[in-house]
Amino acid sequence: MVKVFISTVLLLLSTFLLTGCGENGSSGDRSDLTFDNVRLAFIHVGDVADRGYTYRQHAGTLAMVHALGINHDTQVLNFWNIAPGAAAVTAIEEAVDWGADMVFATSFGHGPMMHEAAQQFPDVRFMHATGNLAMDAGLPNFHTYFGNMSQARFISGVAAGLRTENNVLGFVAAHPNAEVITGLTAFYLGARSVNPDVTMYVQFMGVWNNPTLEGQIAQALIDRGADVLGQHADSPTTQTVAQANGVWSVGYNNCMRVEAPDAFLVAPMFAWEVYLTYAVRNLVEGNPIRTDVLYGWEEGMVVMTELNPNTVVPNTAQAMAEAEARIVGGFNPFTGPLYGRHISDMGAPVRQILAPGDVFFERMSAPSFAYIIEGITVID
Amino acid sequence: MDTFINFFNAAVLAGAPLLFGTMGEILTEKSGNLNLGVEGMMFMGALSGLVSVFLLEMGLAIDLAPWLAVCVAIAFSFIAGALGALIYSVLVVTLRTQQNVTGLALTMFGIGVGNFLGEFFGRRSPVGFLTVSARAREGFRQLRIPLLSEIPIIGEMFFNYNVLVYLGILIAIVLAIFFKFTRVGLNLRAVGENPAAADAASIPVARYKYLATCIGGGICGIGGMYIIMVTTSGIWVHNAVQGFGWISVALVIFATWSPARAVFGSLLFGALTVTRFYLPLGIPMQIYDTLPYIATILVLIFTSIRPIKEHAAPAGLGLNYFREDR
Repeated sequence: MVKVFISTVLLLLSTFLLTGCGENGSSGDRSDLTFDNVRLAFIHVGDVADRGYTYRQHAGTLAMVHALGINHDTQVLNFWNIAPGAAAVTAIEEAVDWGADMVFATSFGHGPMMHEAAQQFPDVRFMHATGNLAMDAGLPNFHTYFGNMSQARFISGVAAGLRTENNVLGFVAAHPNAEVITGLTAFYLGARSVNPDVTMYVQFMGVWNNPTLEGQIAQALIDRGADVLGQHADSPTTQTVAQANGVWSVGYNNCMRVEAPDAFLVAPMFAWEVYLTYAVRNLVEGNPIRTDVLYGWEEGMVVMTELNPNTVVPNTAQAMAEAEARIVGGFNPFTGPLYGRHISDMGAPVRQILAPGDVFFERMSAPSFAYIIEGITVID
Repeated sequence: MDTFINFFNAAVLAGAPLLFGTMGEILTEKSGNLNLGVEGMMFMGALSGLVSVFLLEMGLAIDLAPWLAVCVAIAFSFIAGALGALIYSVLVVTLRTQQNVTGLALTMFGIGVGNFLGEFFGRRSPVGFLTVSARAREGFRQLRIPLLSEIPIIGEMFFNYNVLVYLGILIAIVLAIFFKFTRVGLNLRAVGENPAAADAASIPVARYKYLATCIGGGICGIGGMYIIMVTTSGIWVHNAVQGFGWISVALVIFATWSPARAVFGSLLFGALTVTRFYLPLGIPMQIYDTLPYIATILVLIFTSIRPIKEHAAPAGLGLNYFREDR
């Protein structure tokens, strides 16, 4: 009994000691921040092996530290494969213990955990990519940011609309949420801008990353007659299935020409370093950072891979350049007239979403357009 | 009709990795070992099937013919799965650890080893990720069997798959004959049902358990390799196996430990996983995703309502055998 008591006391004592160590490590809002001592933590939902979403996120980190002269090995702490929930809470706490001045989280689902942490650790900045909570949180240390991917999706859709021979596109989509629907709608609108007859099948997975499911859905879409596939999913399987079936595909977040040399057309990508550089520079220099930031094509936050000359139709580059010029000139792909139904009420009759000439209003960087417009068929 | 044929093809392709996992686990469980490490062994098989071809091509600069790449991948995925099962066998058969816990540990170990080494080799690959050449990948493409695949409908439905699908069917036939018509198969079943009686009949219980578990693990490993080589077209994708091992464990019960029923079971489960892509009914996708599991629950209920001895689990399943216990 005595032994049990002593060991319990020792155990408790050691726990206190450990927490003590942790607190020593945390830095607080330091006034002496420089590019040589700022500490940055990244909570990633996947890892770089996906060669898609997380790969691009990390590429942004590397470009940012290179531009600002930050030592990646000692000043950056990466957490990989952190699912929203308890794992994210633990990772954020570890990051704060390590002494992070700024914690970045990359997935929409990390939002509530970041919000909570921002209240708990007022001296640390919490930056949430793709999130929508900071605007209404009213916290000085909680920020959200995004790239205007719909612009790049629109431009990439032009390549798909010109390429298709059946006039049927297919889209392998992750979650039926506003971010994904905004992206696939922009892709479709881009295709329709050069090919008025084009239609698109969409199938949702219900997860961000499941190669088997992505492959099965891609195959099912091809079986339905789609001859150009687009994707909002994390793995390159859609591209390889398109390659195996002799159809074409538009990638996402990475050039997938090596994987699918005869299928891959082009891919829209994020260039996260644009925002990361903005945020970290202002943190170190003591300037204010906006609560919610949306950077687009003009700022270089969304970009395009090189065209695959072996797969695109001849005038693609020119047509895409025209679309790009429209975007730069202020054109918003979500301009009326648009007809459709909200994703949460697909039984309802098709109605007008936007009157001719009206532009869909987005309140913040995280998109909210969740309508399935005419021409797009969701298979469920 | 075309939709049905496409659906059937997709169901077969979705069911094939399950078939390997299920048959491997049936062979294992027939020896009385309940190895819950199928998921882990599939990861290990997936990794080594891919890495073996990758290393031969990149490391040794050997230009593998498609059929040779298939053989190498099968051999090494089998070896990796069998090695995983060997760890399990040493722990369970020789050291007599608790079977469930050991299997779960093997699952965690296999997932970790697979994902870690997949990325490790990926970063050393010239293209930045772990993959094999287009030529090697050709071996895993669908194989149109001459003449037979020309038959309308039947040809499209049955003679139009990659080589691993046929290998799976072949293994099922061999296992069915092995369990039913050979003395060794009968001995193995005796070991699983009542190891003490088998021991008394001078059947080497430990040797049977080791061999059945390791060969079973090897078959599971081929299932993992299928996912990497066919489903993701020969590219290492983080967490590619994602739950197939667990569905296989459930399928063993569904198939009531019969290789023939395992073929139909994995076809059915494969069909259930792709149903929502081909036969959309307008119900939430989450309901479709639960169908395989609902089917398993129903089978469990029905098999326990009318217990048929032939369909029961091996009586010694999950129990370690101590000779000195008698």
